[in-house]
Amino acid sequence: MPMEEKIGVYVCECGPNIADKVDIDKVVETISSLPSVNVVERHKLLCSEDGKKFLKESIQKNELTRIVVAACSPKQHEVTFMRVCESAGINPYFFQLTNIREQCAWIIDDKEEATERTIRYIRAAIRRVLYHKALEKKEIEANPDVLVIGGGIAGISASLLLASGDRKVYLIEKTKVVGGKVREFAKLFPRMEPCSDIISQKIKEVENNKNIEVHTDSEVSEVLGFLGNFVAKVNTSENKAIEQPSEQAIKEKGLENKELELKVGAVVVATGFSMLDLQQLPQYGYGKYDNVYTALEFEKMNAEGKILLKNGKPPKQIAIIHCVGREKVGYCSRVCCMYSLKFANYIKSKLPSVKVSHLYTDLTVPGKTYQKFYEQTKEKDVEFIRAQDIEITESNGQLTINHKGTPNLKPLNTDMVILSSAITPSSDAHKLAEMLNISQGDNGFFVEEHPKLAPVSTSMEGIFITGCAQGPKNISDSIVQAQAVAGKILSSIIPGKKLELEVKTSEISEALCIGCQTCLEVCSYGAIYFDEIKRVCIVNEVLCRGCGNCVGSCPSGAASSKHFTTTQLHQEVVEALR
Amino acid sequence: MKDDFEPTIIGFLCRWCSYAGADLAGTSRLQYPPSMLPIRVMCSSRVDPVFIITAFLRGADAVLVAGCHPGDCHYIEGNYYTRRRFACLRKIFETLGMESDRIRLSWISASEGPRFAQVVTDYTDKIKKLGPNPAKKEIFL
Repeated sequence: MPMEEKIGVYVCECGPNIADKVDIDKVVETISSLPSVNVVERHKLLCSEDGKKFLKESIQKNELTRIVVAACSPKQHEVTFMRVCESAGINPYFFQLTNIREQCAWIIDDKEEATERTIRYIRAAIRRVLYHKALEKKEIEANPDVLVIGGGIAGISASLLLASGDRKVYLIEKTKVVGGKVREFAKLFPRMEPCSDIISQKIKEVENNKNIEVHTDSEVSEVLGFLGNFVAKVNTSENKAIEQPSEQAIKEKGLENKELELKVGAVVVATGFSMLDLQQLPQYGYGKYDNVYTALEFEKMNAEGKILLKNGKPPKQIAIIHCVGREKVGYCSRVCCMYSLKFANYIKSKLPSVKVSHLYTDLTVPGKTYQKFYEQTKEKDVEFIRAQDIEITESNGQLTINHKGTPNLKPLNTDMVILSSAITPSSDAHKLAEMLNISQGDNGFFVEEHPKLAPVSTSMEGIFITGCAQGPKNISDSIVQAQAVAGKILSSIIPGKKLELEVKTSEISEALCIGCQTCLEVCSYGAIYFDEIKRVCIVNEVLCRGCGNCVGSCPSGAASSKHFTTTQLHQEVVEALR
Repeated sequence: MKDDFEPTIIGFLCRWCSYAGADLAGTSRLQYPPSMLPIRVMCSSRVDPVFIITAFLRGADAVLVAGCHPGDCHYIEGNYYTRRRFACLRKIFETLGMESDRIRLSWISASEGPRFAQVVTDYTDKIKKLGPNPAKKEIFL
């Protein structure tokens, strides 16, 4: 046990909160009698300005090297007192706060009992603080530039906001144009305004923004590094850099693939969605019958002008089927009800006499405007049928929809069927997840770090998710989430400011590590890598969050958590039990 | 004799959920038996099963490990690892003829002050019935 330390113990009365419940005189007397303690003081309210001044002066006057404060929960004032220690000239980690308020004074009525327990807590804290090690703040340089993968509405929105914050943005788009699937929409629900107004304006803004470098026909092939310091490789076959391509130029590089290397501080994944492959649901007859369309096909047909059957005649009846594949994928895709209502409006405005029927399992029309849109659509003589177990048959060009769900309802005859099918993760989500080391949920969408506390970050610090890549959502929600991502990046990486790293990280002793790589398996943050030459595991302190899972799993005792070392915890436990 | 017995329970509480739940129990002035000595850890997955065994050898009558509910771990999936290690530890206890009731794993969130108080109360009652940890007398270190 380290012996030459000078320990000071400060007991806070917290006004009457602790003083009324604990016999502080007795505590001070008992703790003073311990051989290892130099100073024991009490104070009315240590977190007050007066209290902090008192603490600082006492530390300096007595030249203390270790501090224990018995007061409230660390959640309340651990940082406060650590700062006092720092200002008094001692390392803030040579300090231990023990919680004698929330987990002692306030839960025990018996004063004697509470006093005994306070003494026990303080003894354990004294023992622990003796084994504390000085820890230093670490900082790294951070690159403020951002890589945005996916040029759909989410990627565009994030890029624009980031660029307006004076960040260089590299926007990588797989297809030939930015704008994503939204480009194909004629109108937007619920206001039925033309989509082109919104999307073309955004695309123009992106193209004219000096801070945004767009690469179409390009795909990210590798991302290495960590928050503030990523290096990404991008394969591109675009040839827009050549203004007037001569034959020679095209021969030389125009059509050849080029590899770009980009250095960025953060990565935004906005890779959008796919639609469920309807071949998997043969009961709907897609691909088999002529006039069964997917939602995107119908959207396109409408945008191109006329709503017609395959034989060129206008339809008399159209059925729109909701919830296609919902059971199969196991989630509601959130937007299908709304765009199905939009389709009804398309149809009614072009072909007012056509009978439109909606077949749904459950209607999802949440929020402050959607219910009204539903009611307005219904007023246009649009039929809504609750239906289950749908099966479509055809005879002589007439489609028949057999269904259950509403009793005593006959099968529905119709000319055209539109299938509003489930939104699924984009087809390359798996590849991307592997490349970026981020996780996918059971349904294949990327998983946020925490659904409520950290909804746009991922388990990999510096990699963010937005739009339908994170889960099915409408355009407004995609933009909201994209702007949240931009806000998160703008506030976490500030040009010229270094990044402060977690101090209480794990470390692995090179001498003790047997190279089993168990820690590497359990780490959720990819913060541990295996050094092939030394045959040991090494912690990347930039990525480590300090949970200590690797330490709990290490069979050789090589891994250790700073400030939660095995010795520190062991000593605390043993002393508490004495 | 058993009636006078006041058990000592070591409680490893994860900093984000269960320790905060214990704080909430205090803030709500819920009264529960002063049997548990809290040890704050960053995540329940930091709790090496050796800590639990050591606590027994040093005289604890029971050990409680508490963390975030499954799916709510602040560190994504630490508590799943805790659960697995706990299942193994329970098997070890049974194999060695030790009372596996003396170890308990509970999920207590930061908003579950009443649940925290309830868990400690129930567990204390249970350990009271079991009596003092026999390992205290049998093993000398």
